[in-house]
Amino acid sequence: MTFLLQASLFAALAVSYQAGEMSLNDVVQKVNPKMVKIYGSGGFKGLPAYGTGVLVSPNGYVLTVANHLMETTDLRVHLYDGTRLPAKLIAMEPELDIALLKIGTDKSKIDDLPFYDIVAAAKTPLATPGTSILAFSNQFQIASRDEPVSVMKGTIAAYARLFGRIGIFEAPYSGNVYVVDAITNNPGAAGGIITNRMGDIIGIIGKELRNEQTNTWINYAVPINAELEIKLADGSAKKISITNLIEKKEAYKPVTKASKSTGGGGYLGIVYVPNVVDRTPPYIEYVEPGSPAQKAGLLPDDLIVYVDGLPVVSVNSLLELMQKYRPQERIQLEIRRGDKLQTISVQVESPPRALPNKGAETKGN
Amino acid sequence: MSTTLFLLGVVEIMLAQNTLEELQEKAIQGAVQRVSPTLVQIETTGGTEVISAGGGAGGAGKRRPGPAAGPGVRKGSGPTTGVIVSADGYVISSAFNFANKPTSIIVSTMDNKRYIAKVVSTDQSRMVTLLKIDATNLPIPEALPTSKMEVGQTVIALGRTLGGSPGAPPSVSMGIVSALGRIWGRAIQTDAKISPVNYGGPLIDLQGNVLGILVPASPEAEGETAGFEWYDSGIGFAIPLDHIYGKLAKLKLGKDIRKGLLGITMQNKDMYADEVVINSVAPNSAAFKAGLKVADKIIAIDSKKVESHAQLMHQLGPKYEGDMVSLTIVRGKDEIKLEKIELSGSLESPPLGFFGILPMRDDPTKGVQVRYVFPESGAAKAGIKVGDRILKAGVGPDITKVTATAEVANRDALSTLLSTAVIGSFLAVEVKREDGTTTTLKGPIGQATSFLPEKPPEKSSLANLEKEPEKKPEIGTIKKQSAAGDRNYWVSVPVSYDPRTSYGLMVWLHPAGKGKDKDLDDLLGIWDQYCAEYKIIMVAPRSDAELGWTPGESDLILESIRHATENYNIDRKRVVIHGMGTGGQMAFYLAFQQRELIRAVAAVGASLGATPKERIANQPLSFFLAVGDKDPIRETVLDTAKKLLGFQYPLILREMKDMGHQYFNSVTLDTLATWIDLLDRI
Repeated sequence: MTFLLQASLFAALAVSYQAGEMSLNDVVQKVNPKMVKIYGSGGFKGLPAYGTGVLVSPNGYVLTVANHLMETTDLRVHLYDGTRLPAKLIAMEPELDIALLKIGTDKSKIDDLPFYDIVAAAKTPLATPGTSILAFSNQFQIASRDEPVSVMKGTIAAYARLFGRIGIFEAPYSGNVYVVDAITNNPGAAGGIITNRMGDIIGIIGKELRNEQTNTWINYAVPINAELEIKLADGSAKKISITNLIEKKEAYKPVTKASKSTGGGGYLGIVYVPNVVDRTPPYIEYVEPGSPAQKAGLLPDDLIVYVDGLPVVSVNSLLELMQKYRPQERIQLEIRRGDKLQTISVQVESPPRALPNKGAETKGN
Repeated sequence: MSTTLFLLGVVEIMLAQNTLEELQEKAIQGAVQRVSPTLVQIETTGGTEVISAGGGAGGAGKRRPGPAAGPGVRKGSGPTTGVIVSADGYVISSAFNFANKPTSIIVSTMDNKRYIAKVVSTDQSRMVTLLKIDATNLPIPEALPTSKMEVGQTVIALGRTLGGSPGAPPSVSMGIVSALGRIWGRAIQTDAKISPVNYGGPLIDLQGNVLGILVPASPEAEGETAGFEWYDSGIGFAIPLDHIYGKLAKLKLGKDIRKGLLGITMQNKDMYADEVVINSVAPNSAAFKAGLKVADKIIAIDSKKVESHAQLMHQLGPKYEGDMVSLTIVRGKDEIKLEKIELSGSLESPPLGFFGILPMRDDPTKGVQVRYVFPESGAAKAGIKVGDRILKAGVGPDITKVTATAEVANRDALSTLLSTAVIGSFLAVEVKREDGTTTTLKGPIGQATSFLPEKPPEKSSLANLEKEPEKKPEIGTIKKQSAAGDRNYWVSVPVSYDPRTSYGLMVWLHPAGKGKDKDLDDLLGIWDQYCAEYKIIMVAPRSDAELGWTPGESDLILESIRHATENYNIDRKRVVIHGMGTGGQMAFYLAFQQRELIRAVAAVGASLGATPKERIANQPLSFFLAVGDKDPIRETVLDTAKKLLGFQYPLILREMKDMGHQYFNSVTLDTLATWIDLLDRI
């Protein structure tokens, strides 16, 4: 009896595995017609001249990443059935690292293309780590014309902040991303999509980036429901989202982000140990009399390890972190004093007129 | 009727499919949840930048655009992962996470509590590090016994780098067990994506049991960063947790535990060749004490037959210092069984033989003319004088019996003879003196010391200067472009350069961020005088990486060296690679990679990124280390010196008074210039 039961269970599993392949194929058939291959500028400095995009309206709007491909007047798109069409850039949002293209010419009439309803998709909840996903992209330009793009299977590894770098430049997008447990972010994959196992879009595959935290290449996608609050140059804040860009289309205006130094930096009144190596630990050498640091009770030889919960690796990273604060803001410093950790709250102030000079190599703030 | 049935069937199948996928997602999430409380996030402050063994594909074999395309190994600055292994506050992690010797380590548990952590000890064989935090009643994971692991079983790799707070779910990477007993019997292999994102984290099964702790590893190298170049490639490794639990009591004692070594090398360089014949036995090693001899053939270890070096490695790989092995060997016609050989943790390499003379360079005549005699050296004791010409030489263990029988063609012949000589033996030389008489002198062979004499005589060359050279190459400071056209390097040739005399070559590797034209110009300016006086040509390649040199930039450095050796008369015995900060680390790295090319390393404020490699006879390598006594990385530089001395490398260490992380003061600069002039000592 037990044997019989096991045997039938096994049979059921075998059937469902077969069905799994069939069903996966169905999903792929459903997604593929919505994917497009994009050809634009590139070919220099090892940058590919090809990329991927996804249709987001029946009349030919294409969502992709904001990248170098668009720096040309000769932007072309290949549809799933092999149709080749010119395309033009409609709107771009560098802060979200996305761009919207429109394919076809004014004369050509396009109104029945398969597409994703991004506004609806953005309302679905976030995928959790461990969720199975599929990734669709024209990585390495393996497909062209009517050849379908590549499909990969993977899982969501994490939902995490992106600490990315392209060469020496910080990645423009700084929100949370889906980190993908599959090698998805290859040349030409940017602008492709990741979907759940039913083929519903959940993210846009980003550019090739190095993760600053680990110094390794990272595979990630910007969630389709990404929403960021950006500090503008005039001091106000604005919410931006992929949905917003798709709804506004031609009328969309990219935000002008406040430059990094706009915070002005909060003055603490601390002189750190001479910052001479790549990772000088931020030990306090001297506390200015009457400064916010002194009022808060910071002492020489304290080691600052966190600022508002963010880990501090070195004097450099601490000085960079402090730049975003404005006078009168209150910050939480976690310090290591001997073998004890302590939290100290400090209200930063405007720097005094003349900063005392503690030698050329000693930086303070 | 039949249609309905068919449709029903389809629905059923679809349901089953979804259920299966759903079940798997649930299983993953359940397993992760079960283990999560035992995971910690580790954050470090300070430490050095680490450059180490590169090579390989640089992650998943991808081709990459942009300047950082090299297979560089530099540890990131993000948080890493650890696993609690004892309720009273012990945490195990990958030694990789501490390879940069951080100043401060903070461990955060899942409930967002932060603790100051101390490094207790490291298992240097498995490259896992034990930390201690001041906490109690911590949860620990269940270890899956090694005997229950199966190739093909589904596994999940977890990490705490991504996701921010230690309370957030860990990152997951799915895979299977690809093989067991890898890295010479020490590690589980998996195809899950293993990288700094999860080094130190656990590899778990679908029930939430831990198979092992994730580490970078390589069968060809040892050390904290070995195997990093395989990150995310489908080849990842984990050290079985049940093994770690077994070693915990020992690790808690606070002393590093080390790999067990026999101390032999094999005659056949091919690891898989079908004979294990001993080529050398290290002095005072386990093999030495057991009485193993050169030409002995090993046929079994612990009663297991071995037919190749690789099979022997599989048996020895998992063993620790102090473990016992038995060997069966064949010596001549006898089969001998050697029982209870206690493995040692380190090996002594014999120091390089040194007689104590500087030869004249560019010598057109047979023999070696003496330029300088080191005070108190074997040569001084033998009575050798400046101007003597050594014509014949011989080495022997007994001063009364040694004779100078072999003809000495030139200085290279003499230095080869010394490189294989045993310290404490004697050298006999037949010399022709300046007055025309010939005599035989004998003196002991000593060890190259760190003693720097006063400046040796300036006249160093016997080049025939009668014939004018056919053409003069470019002199002065020249900016060159690499063959690929995208990189450049500076070449500085003294205006007094004469192609008939040989020159030393110094390669300058600038510290991070100091690669601008002006910086290189300044440095070449400092060296101008010395280069002319000591006959040195300098090349200074420029790193493209903002954070400093990566191993991927080796090609540019080698190209600049090649340019110098092809266009100028370079003395191969005086090729020095000189660097500061990450440039100094790169100098160490390159020197160990390019043994046939580089003779010396002069590093300022820089430490070794990895364990040094063994010395190679006939490819000598000397070190000159300088550090300011106020440099924050002083300790690691001193540690570097200790490690190199452990391998018996000739080394000079200069601590510069009242200096931080700075370039040389003038005293040290003088010393370095003299040291370079002494590199062709015999």
